[in-house]
Amino acid sequence: MMSSDKAAVFTITFGVACAVLYVICTEVNLPLLTYHPVIGELDPLWTPEKRGPVMYWYGWMLTSLIGASALAFAATAVPERWLQRAILVGAFAAVSYLILYTLALFVYDRASIELALLQSRWLSAVIAVAAAALLGCLAPAGWSERLWPGWVWVVPVGALAVLGYYLSPYFTH
Amino acid sequence: MIFWTTLLIVHGLLAVTLLGAITHQAVALWLPVRAKAGSFVARFRAVPGTSYVGAIIVLYLLTFVMGAWIYTQYRFTARLALEQLRFFKTVGVFEMKEHLATIGLILLPAYWAFWRRPLSEDYAAARRQVTLFLAILVWANFLIGHIANNARGFGS
Repeated sequence: MMSSDKAAVFTITFGVACAVLYVICTEVNLPLLTYHPVIGELDPLWTPEKRGPVMYWYGWMLTSLIGASALAFAATAVPERWLQRAILVGAFAAVSYLILYTLALFVYDRASIELALLQSRWLSAVIAVAAAALLGCLAPAGWSERLWPGWVWVVPVGALAVLGYYLSPYFTH
Repeated sequence: MIFWTTLLIVHGLLAVTLLGAITHQAVALWLPVRAKAGSFVARFRAVPGTSYVGAIIVLYLLTFVMGAWIYTQYRFTARLALEQLRFFKTVGVFEMKEHLATIGLILLPAYWAFWRRPLSEDYAAARRQVTLFLAILVWANFLIGHIANNARGFGS
């Protein structure tokens, strides 16, 4: 079995990790710096508005770029099949969470009794991770031999779908 | 105002150049010419994709940096006006533009790795997919930039 070269492993992992971290940073609001464009001031980490609007985008990018670089360096040191399996399980978990949480909210909306537990993101997340770990174990060995280069566009497409979903209020206003 | 308008025009010109280069490369990769190129379209498809890689990366970075710079001015001038005019869809697509631009930036290292010479057959499929994805991102950002710019009209 041939293994991928280090540059490819680094760049593929960087792309995957950066897309995931960027989505997390935008949704949880984790900027490494905050820019205040009206007064031209730059603050470390998250700070509230001072005068006029505030910009976190540069901070989100910085957080995800640094985090993804660290993960990509680490990835070059681990066996390629571990890396492939980790991304595979992560992708399974993300898709499972999406399906489970959508189903949970669907059932909650139509149930004749109050099922508040179904509204919990954590419940769907825990089940999704467990299901993904199981699927990861059951996946054919051939799926984990080499790092699949297609992750580098599949994961960012998923990230864009999530980011687009969170922007939907702009279009339903 | 003249300074930011000049910057916006330069950003637009860089975007046009990038759009041409990435479209050329993507078309040549997905629809390669098998016979001798005769017509304009066939010659468009016959370009060697590898010769565009460095230019595309540099143009993307330059366009991105200029866009990120202009964004500081947009945030407290044009965007506030768009919100007051209740152009929420325009504001929304512009928010999407910042995400699309970031995802494109994230792709660049892998794009470079897949296009390294000699071209590896191992990454032939990924090379095609990433190039197409990057082309789609550049086109989307170009069109969104136009929409946002046209929302109030030049110089208004």
